[in-house]
Amino acid sequence: MTAATVAIEAREIAKRYGALEVLRGVSMEVAAGQVKVVVGPSGSGKSTLLRCLGLLEPIEGGSVVVEGQEVAWRGGGRGKGGIEERRLTALRSQVCMVFQQFNLFPHMTALDNVMVGPLHVRHMPRAQAREQAMALLERVRLGDKARRYPHELSGGQQQRVAIARVLALRPKVMLFDEPTSALDPELVREVVDVMEELARDGMTMVVVSHEMRFAREAANAVVMMDEGRIVEEAPPERFFTAPTEERTRRFLQMVER
Amino acid sequence: MAFDWNIFFEALTSPTFIRGAGLTISLAAAAQAAAIVLGLGVALLRRSPLPPLRWAAATYVWLFRAVPTLLQLLFVWNALPQLVPSLRDPWFSPFLAAFVALAVNESAYMAEIIRAGLAAVDRGQTLAGKTLGLSQAQVFRLVVLPQTIRVIIPPTGNEFITLLKLTSLASVISLRELLTVTSQTVAVNFRFAELYGAATVWYLAIVSVFMVLQGQLERRYRWASTDEPGRRGAPAAPDIATTNR
Repeated sequence: MTAATVAIEAREIAKRYGALEVLRGVSMEVAAGQVKVVVGPSGSGKSTLLRCLGLLEPIEGGSVVVEGQEVAWRGGGRGKGGIEERRLTALRSQVCMVFQQFNLFPHMTALDNVMVGPLHVRHMPRAQAREQAMALLERVRLGDKARRYPHELSGGQQQRVAIARVLALRPKVMLFDEPTSALDPELVREVVDVMEELARDGMTMVVVSHEMRFAREAANAVVMMDEGRIVEEAPPERFFTAPTEERTRRFLQMVER
Repeated sequence: MAFDWNIFFEALTSPTFIRGAGLTISLAAAAQAAAIVLGLGVALLRRSPLPPLRWAAATYVWLFRAVPTLLQLLFVWNALPQLVPSLRDPWFSPFLAAFVALAVNESAYMAEIIRAGLAAVDRGQTLAGKTLGLSQAQVFRLVVLPQTIRVIIPPTGNEFITLLKLTSLASVISLRELLTVTSQTVAVNFRFAELYGAATVWYLAIVSVFMVLQGQLERRYRWASTDEPGRRGAPAAPDIATTNR
């Protein structure tokens, strides 16, 4: 892995909401084609880390490196930390997020949801965007639902549309924020199947999830977070069978019953 | 004195009444359209990161909601020309004065409705737009605005009906809208029941046509696939407060 190009990197990220320190210097590297699963108790900063990696939140310290460009986006008032809004916008379309609550656009059909990025961000001709969107919906096995609006779809179907919507941009990295937590148990599998396919196809992924089966089968590395820090990182087989840290052991006991 | 149907129908279909109704409709529609644009601007300023802009917008809403509409109308027609000499010229017509007064007054109410509508759009929608690489302006236009419109259609419909009736206030500045022509005709023949009846029918007709249009607009914002007739559409938009004056 050492020679592989780094797709996305967190360098000493510090993030706070008011007095609450959510991330206390988090560093992490994800090589191209790698799948990293982040676990940890609620409030450990996993989702915040993901939003910072996706350039959706400014940070107080450190930086994110995407596409070889180091971004130190600082918030606070109008200050953008010297980063133009335009550059941030362009980089965001390379690190796209799939959300726990799907966040599909309710006023657009599944097809239109998938076409938004290509049409308005990549400036693709409409016919081509449409063709690509249909192909992507087929790929997530929703070709027959193209004309449906989000509220007419099940949670699992909505999440698969959301994945297709992101794929349509051909991003370098995909971020998944608890993608199956809002789903009924019987719908989890269909989403995890699609994610496993993506992993096999070589997509770089950072996944915050407690789907341990996905972590075991698809992850290159599992990261344990607690109190805004990375506690341990290991390949899944070692992470689940012989974790070095006491904190990880306690957490695994909790989630694995 | 029995109700004379001939006088009623004659008034109802008279060119004077038709012109009065036309003036009422155009004044209300123009003022409402301007109020939506102004109101959107004020609502966006109320969400500005800069405190002075927020205060200015809040003051605007406070001022134009607090002062009676009739007083605002009289102010624009009588007081403004004293302060601004160029407004004494003939181009500053009663219609224009009524339009300005009603549009500004209404925009304060629209600003509150639109503010509530913007707040009703889930924050996850903006995040989803951003993560796709949409610019701030694109997120607003493609994602936030359509969802805001859906929420504000019913309260805006209420506002328009209110505004339609508020145009009758312009009779005090001699604008020949529906109520003015009714009063003027009554002053000649004293047939109160017949003429008030004719005016009532006109107001009912205008509001009915408008309600049909609103229904069509709401259907367009239902976001349901057409090949599934039984569907009730997207979950009901959250209720937001409406005003009554």
